[in-house]
Amino acid sequence: MKNKNHAGKRKSEKKAVNLPARVAIRRLPTGVRGLDDILGGGIPEFSFNIIAGTPGCGKTTLAHQFVFANATAKAPALYFTVLGEPALKMLRYQQQYSFFDESRLGNAIRFINLSDVVLHKDLDAVLQEIIKEVTAANPGVVVVDSFRTVVRKAMAGASELEMQSFIQRLALFLTSWEATSFLVGEYTVDEMRDNPIFTVADGLLWLSQVAERNSVVRKLQIFKLRGVASVPGLHTIRIGDDGLQAFSRTLGLVPKATRPVRRRRLSVGIPDLDKMMGGGIPEGDSLLVAGPSGTGKSALATQFIAEGLRRGEPGIMAIFEERPRGYMERADSFGLNLVTPQKKGKLEILYLRPLDLSVDETMQEILDAIVRVGAKRLAIDSLVGFEMALAPGFRADFRESLYRMIAALTGAGVTILSTVEVEDKFTEMSLSHYTISFLTDDIIRLRYVEIDGQLRKVMVVTKMRGGNHSKDIREYVITDKGMVVIRPRSTEYDGLTTGIPRRTGPRQVQKEEAPPEPKAKK
Amino acid sequence: MREFAARLIAHETRGNKSFETRAAAAFLAGEKLRPQLSTLVGIAGYRALLSRALALAGPEVPWLRAVHVKTDGSFDGLDELGAQVGPEKTVEGSVVVLAQLLGLLVAFIGENLTLGLAREVWPELPLNSLDSAEGENDEKQKSRG
Repeated sequence: MKNKNHAGKRKSEKKAVNLPARVAIRRLPTGVRGLDDILGGGIPEFSFNIIAGTPGCGKTTLAHQFVFANATAKAPALYFTVLGEPALKMLRYQQQYSFFDESRLGNAIRFINLSDVVLHKDLDAVLQEIIKEVTAANPGVVVVDSFRTVVRKAMAGASELEMQSFIQRLALFLTSWEATSFLVGEYTVDEMRDNPIFTVADGLLWLSQVAERNSVVRKLQIFKLRGVASVPGLHTIRIGDDGLQAFSRTLGLVPKATRPVRRRRLSVGIPDLDKMMGGGIPEGDSLLVAGPSGTGKSALATQFIAEGLRRGEPGIMAIFEERPRGYMERADSFGLNLVTPQKKGKLEILYLRPLDLSVDETMQEILDAIVRVGAKRLAIDSLVGFEMALAPGFRADFRESLYRMIAALTGAGVTILSTVEVEDKFTEMSLSHYTISFLTDDIIRLRYVEIDGQLRKVMVVTKMRGGNHSKDIREYVITDKGMVVIRPRSTEYDGLTTGIPRRTGPRQVQKEEAPPEPKAKK
Repeated sequence: MREFAARLIAHETRGNKSFETRAAAAFLAGEKLRPQLSTLVGIAGYRALLSRALALAGPEVPWLRAVHVKTDGSFDGLDELGAQVGPEKTVEGSVVVLAQLLGLLVAFIGENLTLGLAREVWPELPLNSLDSAEGENDEKQKSRG
């Protein structure tokens, strides 16, 4: 007890002491979309970093993006090229990227070739050459590409101790001159152990290419970054016209926003279905429409989006199976116009079927589109097509990734309708082979049933997280108005959910329907 | 490109009245690019580019086939051959080699970066385009003024 009091007193005394303010480490933007978030805000100013990885991962492009994002005429970037990629080729290829601003070369960004010094002189001479150029230019950013070739040459004639001394002097000098520096090199993970470069470095950005079956995906890992809490793990990167883009593996992992108790209900454009759901989909929900092929899942998705547009709510359709033209034609056959809203920037149809897609990239694409059009509604058609478009390596984590994606998208304030194809078994009614009901708030199940010598369609709302819903199994057809619920619940049948119901009551008198049932005209 | 190279060489040889002194100054234009290019691509890189430019100029200026590039990137045998072919042909040859060198740079790094390099070497010249006519007119007007 005595000790506790004493400790408490010491604590309060410590609080009272006016401690000097901690140093504020400024973070520099990398110029790589998504990477600053992974790095915990950016690259710490004056840090000494390594960009390592196997050939073709994007190391040089990453270094260039950083250079173009930070170099100014007052604090220029010095880009030392050594025996790796010749500067002429580097400039030839890098200028293809959108970030490459040639007007800044010579003024804010200077390329200096060190090959001759490295080839013909020792480590001291290399260091002296770097010191000479840095002292003259007073740069804010220094890159040595490829540093591996400097080391390889040096190790041929110098001891490990000399190498370590060289790296430490280089790091000390560059930091003292207030330069944020990058050594770019081709390394394998095995080489990291006992290598002085990796010990001295403040930051270690590791790029790699991961192959699985026929697909190759680029990955990024922050092995270390002193003074910053970076996001651990492997993150997907893609190289496109804008250079590298990084997708944090925690993209979308944000605390779910609290929803108001009474939420607006969004109509799906089918009045009877709205009633079955207790007035429509609660705003901000994720609704899953499950059913076998041909039951009208895409039709329902189209009607949901079209109804939103009619009510002034912009929408996004992320489609993975059918091409946009097919969608437009279907909508047209229902009398729904998707062309004008696209022209007016109220609707975007994203056809996402590149090879080796990742969930994170898809999420980013959709989030960008949501911001562009100010979307309130999103249709994902279908989850099966989405999974098929993924690189094999991502399919294993599909459920978890989907969970993050749905959370991120609903967190962005949109209401989602996703479709999933399920196989109809005539003994049971499964909801989805993904067991993904945990990530949806509401579920509508569509299925075929055999009645009176016809294969008809029925729907049932099986889950509404936000409220009560109808328990009725209702028959519907797809007409030139889209999906239409045609009858009240059937009380004369048992076992509708099996698909082969048994008649338990008298056959209701109904108007004979000329087969085939009226369907949307193409 | 030829006109652009000719313009740079005319700038380098201005003030030299006789053909002899102009010939001596003509290849200096190319030489002036050496430090900039060596910094960018290394001496070996510069030597490789210049050797290629000489090889490309060979069919048009046969006497240049006997000229070589030394390890430091300077010309070997130029003085002797220049004396043999005469000052006028030496100036012509220098234009062809410089045009080929600039042409190589344009092929590799594009017109804008090549122009940027040229501007660093000749900051006093208005080099707005590799189409020499644009800047040349400005220059002429300046000298008239």
